Amino acid sequence: MSEAVYPESEVFHTEDMTISVGPQHPSTHGVLRFVVRTDGEVISEALPDVGYLHRSIEKIGEKCTYHGYVPYTDRADYLAAMFANQGFCMAAEKLGATEVTRRGEFCRVIACELNRIASHLISVGTFGQDIGAITPFLHALRERETINDLMEEICGARLTYNYIRIGGVGYDITPQTCDKILVFLDHFDPIIDEYNRLLSYNKIYIERLANVAAITKEDALQYNLVGPNLRASGVKWDIRRDIPYSVYPELEFEVPVGHGEKGTLGDCYDRYWVRIQELQESSKILRQCLKMMPKGPAISKVPRKFKPPAGEVYVRVEAPRGDMGYYVVSDGTEYAYRVRIRTGSFTAMAIIDKLSRGIMVADLIALIASLDVDAPEIDR
Amino acid sequence: MKQFVDSLIQQGYFSGVPTQIVYAIAMIVAALVVLSVFVAPLAGVTSWLERRVWARMQSRVGPNRVGPQGVLQWLADGIKNLLKEDLIPSAADKLLFPLAPYIVFIGFLCTFVVIPFGGHLIVADLNIGILYLLAVTSIVVVGILMAGWSSNNKWSLLGGMRSAAQIVSYEIPAGLAVLTIIFVAGTMSTQGIIKNQGWAPWDWYLFYNPFTFIAFFLYFTAALAEGNRTPFDIPEAESELVAGYVTEYSGMRFLFFFFAEWGNLYVIGAVATVLFLGGWQVPAVGGGFIEGALQFMVFFVKAYLWVFVAMWVRATLPRVRVDQLMALCWKYMVPLSFLCVIGTAAWMVVFPHGSRWASFAMFGLGVLILVLFVRRLQYQIRNAKPELYLRPYI
Amino acid sequence: MNGFGSYIKNIFETVTTIFEGLAITLSHLVRRPMTIQYPDRLAKPVQETLPLRYRGILEVDLDICTGCLACERVCPISCITIGIDMNKETKQRTFGHFDIDICKCMYCGLCAEACPTGSIRHSQEFEGASYSPSGLVRHFVTKPVSLYKPKKGGETDPTMAKKVEIGQKYLDEFATPEGTAGAGES
Repeated sequence: MSEAVYPESEVFHTEDMTISVGPQHPSTHGVLRFVVRTDGEVISEALPDVGYLHRSIEKIGEKCTYHGYVPYTDRADYLAAMFANQGFCMAAEKLGATEVTRRGEFCRVIACELNRIASHLISVGTFGQDIGAITPFLHALRERETINDLMEEICGARLTYNYIRIGGVGYDITPQTCDKILVFLDHFDPIIDEYNRLLSYNKIYIERLANVAAITKEDALQYNLVGPNLRASGVKWDIRRDIPYSVYPELEFEVPVGHGEKGTLGDCYDRYWVRIQELQESSKILRQCLKMMPKGPAISKVPRKFKPPAGEVYVRVEAPRGDMGYYVVSDGTEYAYRVRIRTGSFTAMAIIDKLSRGIMVADLIALIASLDVDAPEIDR
Repeated sequence: MKQFVDSLIQQGYFSGVPTQIVYAIAMIVAALVVLSVFVAPLAGVTSWLERRVWARMQSRVGPNRVGPQGVLQWLADGIKNLLKEDLIPSAADKLLFPLAPYIVFIGFLCTFVVIPFGGHLIVADLNIGILYLLAVTSIVVVGILMAGWSSNNKWSLLGGMRSAAQIVSYEIPAGLAVLTIIFVAGTMSTQGIIKNQGWAPWDWYLFYNPFTFIAFFLYFTAALAEGNRTPFDIPEAESELVAGYVTEYSGMRFLFFFFAEWGNLYVIGAVATVLFLGGWQVPAVGGGFIEGALQFMVFFVKAYLWVFVAMWVRATLPRVRVDQLMALCWKYMVPLSFLCVIGTAAWMVVFPHGSRWASFAMFGLGVLILVLFVRRLQYQIRNAKPELYLRPYI
Repeated sequence: MNGFGSYIKNIFETVTTIFEGLAITLSHLVRRPMTIQYPDRLAKPVQETLPLRYRGILEVDLDICTGCLACERVCPISCITIGIDMNKETKQRTFGHFDIDICKCMYCGLCAEACPTGSIRHSQEFEGASYSPSGLVRHFVTKPVSLYKPKKGGETDPTMAKKVEIGQKYLDEFATPEGTAGAGES
């Protein structure tokens, strides 16, 4: 870049061009825009421009009853809708001091882990697609279709579930559905291996991702990254282990952390590999839950007009994209005073500019895909 | 074809017209026949086949409604695009923007005059056949650069520049691999190269010596890069540059670029067959018409096999980044192709008439690689779980 | 020589991983695809294969609707509008209009859960395309229908009993605080 370094008479005068990646772009994971200043290939600055998908979900929370707001939380991140539901329901339960039945907790964990598998499948699938490999995306979607069918049997909807309700879950999981989930898990575990052989071990793919946009541990903590992005940089932090909720303390699972598999610690390949490992961990958790499911009611008695006493609460759940936090303030009426949703993708936007100095446009796409940002989560 | 026209002149047609004019008109007519009867449906069917092959590799079905098994999908696409509004962006260069698809088309169509479809079925048997082909395919670069520049769109410009760098760089390994075969064959004419090979696989130039074996893979990879196919499809990288240099094009102009790309696949396959796979050589069957038809079928099948392989590779591999692409070309392929050239030259000094043992050994190696691949494939199929249907759809 | 070794290793790794990837995609080529050809090349229509819980487009069975307006109150997006007229002489209440705007509906199921008889429920229908936005508002009142009064001790009229039973079947899908060991039989 020859901005003002050399006098113009000596060097052929070049300028940086400012191009805008998005908002209509096949791979910005939703409606996002980046204003990129580049000299053709190497980026000198990439500023995110968010807000294209803002639907004022937080404001709607002040106008809806607690029960009626749960379907809205589905849309806060439609790829991980169960976790959004669960976060809000946990916040409302804490405010109203409501108990959740034990069977309800297990149903919640089953539904959430299935949703985690579905969300990570989309993440690794679109990651492959952004790098150019179109086939693994469809294989991932094929598996996700089976999960969608399972969700349809559990709660009747394929994407926006409204399954987790205040006090438990909305529909019970029948034993036939449990059997089908087991059949799916037996089918799914070898498929991850096939997927790895097709994509993850491919030399071209590794060359594209290794050593690209490595995030150091200190940077990750300073920029407040969460979820697999943080774990890939070496920080072992998982809400399910460190601030446990629901029945996670009784389940045995590992928390995959990045090790610099094929390059530096915290590069794009690490973030991808952590997600693949989380798929396997979720499968383990599901099997344990299906064995440990107790009998009993799936929801506890909650009044139709839910009026929690005045107070505020902050609840965190481990969503596939990081820790999703719900800060709910109640003023004693049946409408919340303030609902604030904290999502991992929004904070991940901040680190994109810092990391994108000096990488190429193709790497910027790989970086955005590896952070697994999701436009509805960013803009809410 | 020359003999055919000569026989027609001797029989008394075209009397009174100078022979050169007759030759010229015959050549133009033959070229037009080849283009309209062969090339246009071929590019269209290739587009349908690409979509079907991709779809089956992705566990889905692909277009199967228009015509039997969807074969006429390309007609439907063509008609739809013809009926679309012809958009030229107001800030685009008014002369170059409409012109660019045609230049790309010319670059691709001119190659068909030297491709031999059979023993005597060639439009013009130039004695610089292969050199002409390499030269003419470079016209495509001009067209792509024009498309990128005249769109007046930074994304298109990026795509055009990348493409120019890519195509120009990959000319070198492609040309050197071709040079390897020209050393062995002694002639640049396509018919000449085929006539020097035999019909049996161990007589093909592919297995002639280890250097031509490597040269084949180098040629195929370089030709994929020149045709802007994945893993080298950066100029039209869908997920990075929206659509690269074709971003501003819509309707039939857009299709022209892809028409040229799909047809170019056949040219790649045909050149690979001519140079390395023995062309239209068949065992002596005797009889003019049957032998001609058999030669045509053999050539077509051999060339189309490489079209299928190009689609297969596109469905499997991710894209390489631009600097990695350049590194691959200059650091890996150019040294290897020089090695092939020098190695073949040395081989020809040591074995002036080729070595049967080396041919058989290389053929054995090729068969071994194929057997390993088939065993890997059987392992995949054996371990593949049948598709999981949780509901009784079917 | 280390550089030369890594050079050869790069080439070898590239070739073997590409080989593996090609074998995987070719194995998919020769297997049966997973997709089904919708909508005309199916053994039976998709609607019949969906579970009872499936939250499709809302439907209302006005014959068993008691007019309690619980669904209208609980809907988070106010897509249900109900009008009840009172006939002054006979003191009969009938439905004036019962409109559901299916393009506003969130398909959340809160109204179906709130209904006491199960008259508003999600059907298995999901193809709701229409040529105009006004076509997306379903009007369920074609002629004035009087409100339903649930009889104590069960319903005696056989057609009405059947409707009440179907409504109850939909209601049984929801989890209740008293339910045990899996709701419903299916």
